[in-house]
Amino acid sequence: MKAITSFEQLEGYRERVKAAQKKDLPSVLICFGTGCQANGAVAVAEAFREEIERKGLKVDVNVGFKTTGCHGYCENGPLVVLRPKDVLYLKVKPKDVPEIVEKSLVGSEIIEKLVYKDVNTGESVAQYHEIPFYKYQKRIALRNIGNVDPRSIDDYLLCDGYKGLARALTMRPEDIVSEVEKSGLRGRGGGGFPTGTKWRSCRAVDSDVRYVMCNGDEGDPGAFMDRSIMEGDPHSVIEGMIIGGYAVGAKQGYIYVRDEYPLAVKNLQAALADARAMGFLGENILGSDFSFDIRISRGGGAFVCGESSALMRSLEGKVGEPRAKYIRSVEKGLYDKPSVLNNVETWNNIPVIIRNGADWYASFGTRGSKGTKVFSLVGKVNNTGLVEVPMGISIRELVEKIGGGVLNGKKFKAVQTGGPSGGCIPDSEADLPVDFDSLTQAGSMMGSGGIIVMDENTCMVDVAKYFIGFLVEESCGKCTPCRDGLPRMHRILSDITEGRGREEDIETLTELCDVLTCAALCGLGSSAANPVLSTVRYFRDEYEAHIRDGKCPAGVCKSLITYSIDAAACTGCTLCAKKCPQQCITGERKGAHVIDASACIKCGVCKDVCNFDAVRVE
Amino acid sequence: MEKITIIIDGKQVEAVKDQPVLMAARENGIDIPALCHHPELESSGGSCRVCLVEAVQGGRSRIVTSCNYPVRAGLEVNTSTDQVMKIRKGVLELLLCRVPDSEVVRGLASKYGIDEPRFFKDEGENNRYKCIACSLCTQVCEDVVGVSAISMQNRGVEKAPGTPFHKDSQACIGCGACAYACPTGAISMKDSKGVRTIWGRKFKMAACSVCGKPYIPQAQVDWIVKTTGKDRAFFDKCPDHR
Repeated sequence: MKAITSFEQLEGYRERVKAAQKKDLPSVLICFGTGCQANGAVAVAEAFREEIERKGLKVDVNVGFKTTGCHGYCENGPLVVLRPKDVLYLKVKPKDVPEIVEKSLVGSEIIEKLVYKDVNTGESVAQYHEIPFYKYQKRIALRNIGNVDPRSIDDYLLCDGYKGLARALTMRPEDIVSEVEKSGLRGRGGGGFPTGTKWRSCRAVDSDVRYVMCNGDEGDPGAFMDRSIMEGDPHSVIEGMIIGGYAVGAKQGYIYVRDEYPLAVKNLQAALADARAMGFLGENILGSDFSFDIRISRGGGAFVCGESSALMRSLEGKVGEPRAKYIRSVEKGLYDKPSVLNNVETWNNIPVIIRNGADWYASFGTRGSKGTKVFSLVGKVNNTGLVEVPMGISIRELVEKIGGGVLNGKKFKAVQTGGPSGGCIPDSEADLPVDFDSLTQAGSMMGSGGIIVMDENTCMVDVAKYFIGFLVEESCGKCTPCRDGLPRMHRILSDITEGRGREEDIETLTELCDVLTCAALCGLGSSAANPVLSTVRYFRDEYEAHIRDGKCPAGVCKSLITYSIDAAACTGCTLCAKKCPQQCITGERKGAHVIDASACIKCGVCKDVCNFDAVRVE
Repeated sequence: MEKITIIIDGKQVEAVKDQPVLMAARENGIDIPALCHHPELESSGGSCRVCLVEAVQGGRSRIVTSCNYPVRAGLEVNTSTDQVMKIRKGVLELLLCRVPDSEVVRGLASKYGIDEPRFFKDEGENNRYKCIACSLCTQVCEDVVGVSAISMQNRGVEKAPGTPFHKDSQACIGCGACAYACPTGAISMKDSKGVRTIWGRKFKMAACSVCGKPYIPQAQVDWIVKTTGKDRAFFDKCPDHR
């Protein structure tokens, strides 16, 4: 492929790709995100290839076939989309493929057993965009994912790819910065710092060398939007970075990806090679004076390397430890040069902002938080996965409309947002708009956009203990409060959940939180108190019940609960006695059963298997 | 060196722009406790968090570590507000949990009214008995001595300096700079009968030709001669008899 050296050539090439495309070809799109691949998408794709051939059909002649990035609805994978009918099939197995090709690809029948069924209404929905999970989304960051083959630069060009770059190169760098400022875009990695302001500060520092970097070291448990973007639409990130490099005056960019994301690394590498071959990277991009290239650096798996200063040290080949940021990275960042580090999702928004304009982007979202945000909605909710919504949507809407409500009709208790150092927001605050400032005010944070839904069977002390435990493992150990404070907090929380809580524990925890918040070196340390602070703030009564009454109201903490069988409800079916691993349930057939509490290990199997709701936990 | 005036604890003091607040304070007779900062090591500090102060700049007040917070125009520093004292005390209590055997930390904590921490104490291993993981030792070894015989290992509570894989380091020259730099006396160095033992290795000491006292590891002499080109004869005499 010959490099493109002018805007005219780019548009000419795009037109040729468009013309070569057969528009209304019945097509099958198979999700090749990590989740669907793990669920067997590779075998499904192979089955489609074979079946298409067996039927004497030809790809790109009679039918379309491609593998795409992640649709976000991973728990229902492998996902198969049929175009132009816009039909989505869930949990497709290779054995379903002949029927799909016969009935739905060649024919126009819908296979009922493969379509989405609403758990609440029992209704079947076949149309992709009518499924509640998708219906209420507004996809800007995820605009191409699921539509394009991430390995095809032509596919990206068909979605107006690199138009933002072409436009940017006609603008003055400072005007691009102003445009980004005007869009109101704030850092999607969690900090929420205004992107344009960051770029402007970097430009203002006198230096020959500047760097731009992409933070792809997504490490929050349950969050996978960055992975999904890097895997499914790598060119959008690359295009954003080229524009950013031009705007701030950098010649070199780095993408720091965690090594646990092998598919993201592969797709990014392929995309970089294609972009280089087409002349979007390298010397004199699109015939301009601007030269820029990007390299990939793979992280070693430390959570702390998602922190900006630790990431830069790791990029330099040193141990990934944070440094004091009294002198900011925009002044002295990578190799002590002025540097801009933005998150994957931030970079991915840049091309559309430049292409469609700041006003367009700023028309979405709230006053302080513009645009949309991708969330990974997980936990005790009917529909889990990646969702993109305008900033300012309420937590309740997210959980009920898109998430389809709490699993098994249980009561909604709280959401945990912002990753391990985020906080929990209770049901009573669920009408809170999801934006940077509201979440921070509520004692949590946006973080990278993880949202974990919790139901009435979740113990909030146990939740706090879990997250603090995670942070104990991931603390880099450089500063005292984080390294030595978190294990002490974890010990107190363990004591509380194991029935050794003391009256002064809540007070002591709050004191330790204060030390962490005020004295820790980096953002991870100073926000690490959030899981405790927010649960104490909203669920203090639960802490007190553990400490004072020796009870776990949610029935989770094993040391504080006992299992028993309600004789009135027990039918004597003997199922629990058969399943009990301790064999500590006795009773006559058709007579009430009894649990021997001294032998019971509180595994909960009896409660799970009981069909008559006769097992009590107190 | 641009001199500017800043305010520390209500007093106007002169300081050098960009120098650490801690140094400016000390030069003006204001004491701030600190463990992990060494004036000869530019990259040191920021780890122990003992030297916390309140910095007010541009109308914004926050708790910062004075050892690496740069002096800038308009800065006002308060070294002992109630909040600073409370947080510093909290940090010292945590340090005492980590290194209950360290006389230095024990003494400092005691000044802040802590004789026994409320929390469980760490049990040290791998040189951790008195080590606060500040990394001054590894910085000296790398930046000043230039041999990088030791480095910080592990993370979280397990973080501590050591030789690679806890095996004898062939890079170590036995100079003991790490032990001198350590603020808590955590690194064991013993000189006996002309032999120095450090990091599990024994180094033969060269003796002074005048007083006969073994005073420098032979390996250190070799290193200095090799890296600086200094005349080997210079090391025939100890500093007292040169």
